[in-house]
Amino acid sequence: MRFMMLVIPKGYESAGPGTTPDPELVKKMMKYNESLQKAGVLLALDGLHPPSMGARVTFSAGKPKVTDGPFAEAKEVVGGYWMIQVKSKAEAVEWASRAPMGDNEIVEVRQVQEFGDFPPEIQKSLEGFSEMQNAPKK
Amino acid sequence: MRFLVIVKASKDSEAGKMPSTELLTAMGKYNEELVKAGVMLAGEGLAPSSKGARVKFDGAKRTVTDGPFAETKELVAGYWVWKVKSKQEAVDWLKRAPFDGGEEVEIRQIFEMEDFGQEMTPELRKQEASQMKRAEENRKQK
Repeated sequence: MRFMMLVIPKGYESAGPGTTPDPELVKKMMKYNESLQKAGVLLALDGLHPPSMGARVTFSAGKPKVTDGPFAEAKEVVGGYWMIQVKSKAEAVEWASRAPMGDNEIVEVRQVQEFGDFPPEIQKSLEGFSEMQNAPKK
Repeated sequence: MRFLVIVKASKDSEAGKMPSTELLTAMGKYNEELVKAGVMLAGEGLAPSSKGARVKFDGAKRTVTDGPFAETKELVAGYWVWKVKSKQEAVDWLKRAPFDGGEEVEIRQIFEMEDFGQEMTPELRKQEASQMKRAEENRKQK
């Protein structure tokens, strides 16, 4: 089963545009990434620019409304993620616990929905989705 | 440039309520457009937070809390990775998404190698490139 490990860095909700991670942290992260890689569990990983460089779109009655970041009401935001392939939630939590995070930082572990998790009538509507996920590459 | 497009959780998604066939059909059509335009690189839905966990860090201490997590407003329900030329292009694509029930979607730019300065040494860059390549191999094996 696949899990997404979402990094919630402390204070990232108020980081200014152009903020990049601490070089020491990058070194630790790369070591951790390497351990995920060597264990054969790493599928994908990315770091995100601060929310002050992003946007939010809310949909109400089909009408989109765009708000540029930073988002004043956000108490926590995603700073990056790892996608891993493991055998259980416990194994995912075990990997998350080894991440080089600082005090009061959080890694949220969330299971990815696989095709087989859906009832038959939903699977019918999802036909071709797996191909879409894997087809295009940058 | 690449963007992570984060679909926020709602009461329905957290309750494990499946979308209607109409919405799934509209979403399938929209995804098809994204793929055809070469915009979509990845897309997944996440199981409700009740199936997940949070690990909080404090020195050497790790506190594990099982879901669900009450603060549904900031929770992630699913995401896409898009490749576009600007944030505006990402916003324009997102505006066409078949959402209509008060959903909130967040657009966040992904760090690319060139966003890092000299701190990212040639050695670290090489390591990163190699990890990406091998992660891709893992994906193919799944």
